Amino acid sequence: MSSAYGDRDVREIRDAPDLAEREALLASRGLSAPGGEGLVLGLYEGDALRATGSLVGDVIQGLATAREDEGGGSAAVLVTALLKAAAARGLGRVAVFTKPREAPVFEDLGFRRLAIAERPASGLGAALLEWGSPGIGDWKTDLARRVEGRPRPSGVVVVNCNPFTRGHLALLEWAAKLSAWIHVLVVEEDRSLFPFPVRLDLVRKGTAHIRNLEVHPGGPYVISSATFPTYFTRPRPGSSDDSVSELHAALDLEIFRTHVAPVLGAAERFVGTEPYCPTTSTYNRLMKEILPAPRADSAPVAVREMPRVEQGGEAVSASRVRDLIRSGRLEEARPLVPDTTWEWLRSPGAEPVLERIRTRDTRH
Amino acid sequence: MKAMKEAMAGSLESSDVLVTISPREGAGVEYTIESIVIKQYGRRIRSVTEEVAAAAGLSGAAVRVQDRGALECTLRARLETALERAAAGP
Repeated sequence: MSSAYGDRDVREIRDAPDLAEREALLASRGLSAPGGEGLVLGLYEGDALRATGSLVGDVIQGLATAREDEGGGSAAVLVTALLKAAAARGLGRVAVFTKPREAPVFEDLGFRRLAIAERPASGLGAALLEWGSPGIGDWKTDLARRVEGRPRPSGVVVVNCNPFTRGHLALLEWAAKLSAWIHVLVVEEDRSLFPFPVRLDLVRKGTAHIRNLEVHPGGPYVISSATFPTYFTRPRPGSSDDSVSELHAALDLEIFRTHVAPVLGAAERFVGTEPYCPTTSTYNRLMKEILPAPRADSAPVAVREMPRVEQGGEAVSASRVRDLIRSGRLEEARPLVPDTTWEWLRSPGAEPVLERIRTRDTRH
Repeated sequence: MKAMKEAMAGSLESSDVLVTISPREGAGVEYTIESIVIKQYGRRIRSVTEEVAAAAGLSGAAVRVQDRGALECTLRARLETALERAAAGP
């Protein structure tokens, strides 16, 4: 794709030397080239690369302008080209992940700010914005319609349930005893071994007996990879991947606090302690820091943490169930899951999923 | 005409305007007007947009106009182009 703007020209960057030049431009602005890119565009003046940006799925990443071009409208040209590329792919909505101080540049271009997270300890910060529709406003309107008339204040539990275990069940039963109404949001991103429709269905079946509890698809604004691209501000020397996942977690929790919780009328969020996974344990730690903090822009959400249920001296977890399946010991998983999940695991529909778990070595 | 697909015309550069047309369920047309000079020209931009869309018989669409200080003739041209693109088959 190529289009001319006066003596400037937007072109797709493909060849290795051009990509190296682009990497140098990103590096000069303290950014690294994001991985797994779809479309990389460059704004050229003659042969000189003045600005670059890329589109990965529906996320704009790796946007940088040569220092001397700042304020010269290069960003507007490039963002326009990226938006048009997205539209040509049928995408009405795109997101951008950028540094907090760049957020006003995008807001000026008509992007909506979803959240800003800054982690003083690591020096990292990120802003998440979106452009177009359907956007977060549409999503919130739909969700509000869905939960109209439910008791407030409510409690919320966000779960992946890959698959639904007795641990999840205990957490939800506990939450339902403490709160007038529980909204369960099931992570919709389909990156888990158990497909989303199966996970959702097993949570619904396994909680059918709880009268004051309702299960919803999590949608694109609750722990989704579309809102968590691998594009970050430059970490301070010495900071590691941990500070990056901390930034991810902080953004998700900011969105939860300022957008999701108010729609659901949530005063509390319930969570199980995380004994194994470091990412989840970081997430839980930040949850206790970000959600209950008194702030002017949004109401606090209390966090209530329940110790994991144990069985045979080990915490009941979905990853343990997957491990047992992987090693061909499905029968041993029986005490770890509710009957509803067990019935599904023994059904013909489960066979392809079980086969995938046996043959694939992924964390999720 | 019914909007068949996402279509854009124009740009976010200064003195230009970016027009985005997206298909929507039903027959209605929903307008969103943004401008750096919304106070002085917001109403004019809206009336020109509605007039051009109505002349084309647009239905079942969301029209977003992001004005960066464009002249009226530029706005009209961008609207016409976006409408043509939205109507065209893939």
